[in-house]
Amino acid sequence: MLKFTRFQKAIAIFFLTLLAFINLYPIGIMVLSSFKSTREIFMKPFNLPSVWRWQNYVSAWQRADFAVYFKNSILVTAISIAAILLVSSMAAYVIARFDFKGKRYIYLYLLAGLALPTRLAIIPIFLLMRSMLLLDKLSGLVIVYTAGGIAFSVFLLVNFFKKLPRDIEDSAMIDGAGPFRIYWKIDLPLLKPALVTVAMFNFIDVWNDFFFPLILLSSKAKKTIPLGLQAFFGEYTIEWDVLFAALNISVLPVLIVFLILSKQFIAGMTEGALK
Amino acid sequence: MRKKAYLLMLLPALLLYSLFVAYPFFSSLGLSFYDWPGIGPKKFIGFGNYRNILTGFMAPEFFRAAWHNVIFFIWSLVLSVVPGLFFAFLLAAGIKGTKFLKVIYFFPNTLAIVIVGFLWGLLLNPQWGLVNQLFKAVGLGFLAKPWLGDTKLALPTIIVVTAWRGLGFYILVYLAAIIGIDREMTEAARIDGATEMQIAGRIILPHLMPIIATTSMLKFIWTFNIFDIVYAMEGTQGGPAGSTDVLGTLFYRIAFGGLGSSQVGMGLGATVVTLIFLIVFPVSVFYVFIIEKRVERGE
Repeated sequence: MLKFTRFQKAIAIFFLTLLAFINLYPIGIMVLSSFKSTREIFMKPFNLPSVWRWQNYVSAWQRADFAVYFKNSILVTAISIAAILLVSSMAAYVIARFDFKGKRYIYLYLLAGLALPTRLAIIPIFLLMRSMLLLDKLSGLVIVYTAGGIAFSVFLLVNFFKKLPRDIEDSAMIDGAGPFRIYWKIDLPLLKPALVTVAMFNFIDVWNDFFFPLILLSSKAKKTIPLGLQAFFGEYTIEWDVLFAALNISVLPVLIVFLILSKQFIAGMTEGALK
Repeated sequence: MRKKAYLLMLLPALLLYSLFVAYPFFSSLGLSFYDWPGIGPKKFIGFGNYRNILTGFMAPEFFRAAWHNVIFFIWSLVLSVVPGLFFAFLLAAGIKGTKFLKVIYFFPNTLAIVIVGFLWGLLLNPQWGLVNQLFKAVGLGFLAKPWLGDTKLALPTIIVVTAWRGLGFYILVYLAAIIGIDREMTEAARIDGATEMQIAGRIILPHLMPIIATTSMLKFIWTFNIFDIVYAMEGTQGGPAGSTDVLGTLFYRIAFGGLGSSQVGMGLGATVVTLIFLIVFPVSVFYVFIIEKRVERGE
């Protein structure tokens, strides 16, 4: 840590506040504009709305099939996260707790996924999905996200597993409990904070993803929020009031989750990067 | 056999990862040697696709796009490391409200890239966008430019927007690294009469180098895969006049047909992806190597 003089502290506060302003101002404008009429957005961009037009949200919601997009996004995200957590925590448990031939190479093979962006493999993924008849299916997306989330999740969870005390496990082993029982009954409950962290990362990744839905989905009824928003922006280019409202609606779920879990989020994020 | 039953728990992850992550990478490489529109029989053409892209009719488009990725990487790196370190050092002063600031700084990172793109697309609109109105309002009307419509300004604008979204992450990671530095070391230097500037520059900064290196490597890998932000702000053509076209958008047009694509082909598309892969692969290997070393040391 550094020690700042009073004067230096004042300068620091100035710059830090400036950055906070640069971060928040566009978002504030997005929120305020969503309550104005298009005319007002154009004519008085810096003012508060003269009348708070909640109806912008109603028209955005109705015109953009947001109900469908939300349902799809929630479904895909929830199932993907559940699958990632289950599959990755089992794998991490085995890697962290047991020694077997070739373990190092298997772990290295999985770690390679940390530096290989899945989207580079999109053509074969597209072809696989086509041959499995999973194109334009939400289940196809879930499979891609689950597979794509494994590398990072296993990596984080192995680190967490290593921090867990082993004595309880050892005594359970002596009592005759099998590996799956120990994992399920003893380790998973202890691992809850780590699982929350892993779930959060994958939540942001999956919820925000635009690329895979763009390639793998085609019908309107299957779109997730980012993809639906894109269609919406293409259709209503001049009605800025509705566009801003649509942006806000799309941001809201992430905002809520982030505000509730921001502390864990930041801790997990920085810890992951520092490893 | 019974003893090794635990290996079954490794199986689902390995299978999914192998089938939908590892195998597609190799398969993509294989496809790059074929002429194939996506259906019907494949025609083996050896290095034909590579010739077309590297020296043939696709070459100007390919190298222009690749060059844009390079520019994107260099400037994003500057715009994340320099302000990232600057603000991390300021936050290390431990002023009141640090926790609150961290949340604010990090927030844009949680927004979908397309949402950031659409939002800034509206804010940067030449006529009605807030940015130009702001310049006019404070008497800097000459700065009101068609940010996304000018071939010279479009790419830098997208780079800055991307930096706006990402900066918080770097600040927080560097800050965490600064806080993680052994206090005794900085205290000892202080007792020896080192100024705060010297402590920051000669003790803290060298300790941040590994983390700067790894975050930069990840940045390299990701900038050669950018797509969403260009797509959201300039469309699949990487307009205006291809001035923001990157490898990601070029690939998309070739493989999945966007409007006005010069060629639609899975084989040709796989070749572009393989070339992107070849660019990032050395960095990927190095990154995984470093991570693995750290993991081993941790054991």
